[in-house]
Amino acid sequence: MSDNFIYYLKIILQGLPDTLSLSIAGILSAGFLAIVFSCLLSLNSKFLTKTIRGYIVIFTGSPLLVQLFLIYYGPSQFGEILSKVPAFYEFISSPWFCAYLALTLNSAAYTTQIFYGALKAVPQGQWQACSALGMNKRQTLKIVMPYALKRALSTYSNEVVFVVKGTALASMIPVMDLMGYSNTLNGEYYDFSIFVVAGLIYLLINGILSTIMRIIEKKALTFEN
Amino acid sequence: MSDFFAHGIDWLLSSMDGYILPLTKATAITLSLAFVSLIVGMFFAFIFTILESVPFKPVAWLMSLFNLTIRALPELLIVVAIYTGLPLLLMALDDGFTIPFGFTSFTVKMNIENTQPDPFLCGVFALSLLYAVYASQTLRGAFKAIPSGQKQAAQVLGLSKSRTFFRIIMPQMWRHALPGLSNQWLILLKDTALVSAIAIDDLMMQTKTIVARTNQPFLWYFIAMLVYLVISVLSQRVIAHIEKRSTKFEQPSSANSQ
Repeated sequence: MSDNFIYYLKIILQGLPDTLSLSIAGILSAGFLAIVFSCLLSLNSKFLTKTIRGYIVIFTGSPLLVQLFLIYYGPSQFGEILSKVPAFYEFISSPWFCAYLALTLNSAAYTTQIFYGALKAVPQGQWQACSALGMNKRQTLKIVMPYALKRALSTYSNEVVFVVKGTALASMIPVMDLMGYSNTLNGEYYDFSIFVVAGLIYLLINGILSTIMRIIEKKALTFEN
Repeated sequence: MSDFFAHGIDWLLSSMDGYILPLTKATAITLSLAFVSLIVGMFFAFIFTILESVPFKPVAWLMSLFNLTIRALPELLIVVAIYTGLPLLLMALDDGFTIPFGFTSFTVKMNIENTQPDPFLCGVFALSLLYAVYASQTLRGAFKAIPSGQKQAAQVLGLSKSRTFFRIIMPQMWRHALPGLSNQWLILLKDTALVSAIAIDDLMMQTKTIVARTNQPFLWYFIAMLVYLVISVLSQRVIAHIEKRSTKFEQPSSANSQ
């Protein structure tokens, strides 16, 4: 029993690099995009607001799996045109990149909601104080944004866990992550303990991430109380 | 320009021809899966909430641990693990592995028929479990949001405990629970796409089949995305309506303070 366990663990852990790289890259770029989108939303330009709102509705209203399949399988419909630029076609049809793109766009939509919500929740006095000091929009955002982001941290840590959980979907387009190796093993041995092993690894990753987020949150809000 | 559009619509209709019916059927399966999971999930959620607020602490701790574990695991892993694990469990039961539980008779009856349960049932089980762990948190919060004065007042009036819960506490709970529960409904709706991994012919699976036949992945996955989008947006509309009704009696001042 324990022999099996270690054997499974060894094989499944081969998928760890893909899971981790997808998670970290996805979290970082989604966070960056979300900050950019929140700033753009706060500019109150009609066109920008409509575009970003549309993007958020589309990406939060449909399953990540559909987005993933659309991004990975979709371009092959235009294969004839795309094959004229083979380097580009090869790049956008690599499974890892598609999974990364789908995760980033999906998570950025959710994260924008969180960040922009926090930005709107900043007391009016802060904005007024900035404009009283004669600051322009960019300078104001520089002051207000960190203030809002700190308050968004506790909600944001949920989103971080969701990204890690979302990486498991990448196994459905052939990315060999933790889930991918578990599925292959399951096809071979049909044993429930495979999923127990995979589950424990995911638990560990998410546990560590949540702890890190809690430490960051504590550090960020340390002067508040 | 209009000619171009007419051409485009013609092309679209001709490529949709013959696939609208299967797609509609698959959408119906997705929707029924979501609805059944919602109902079963609400039932589970109530049980989880009760178990988590049991005075006997070890049960409550175990339940919290269970909740935390499920919430940290990828949804896909849970769906696939249940699909794989249930037959194995049933086979083990079939081999004469009986635990004297209250509900053993139910499981025995299932393994007489076959050890491979219907994928739809597995899907409902997995999705309702996922819904329940999140919803039980919302319910617990809503339960705590009811001032204890309400309970005491009911007690003073001589209402029984169950009557107090069903007639006094629960109607007030919905108002607090609705925003959370409806959010989780939207998540559940999107999670149904995962069951295509376990051979349920839902919208996602049907789209895959159509793509394999037509070789137009972009068009069909885009259509699937639109269907999910329409369902999400429509349910958001309905939810907003329900929420408005459930908070109708509130004073405007309390409605403004978010």
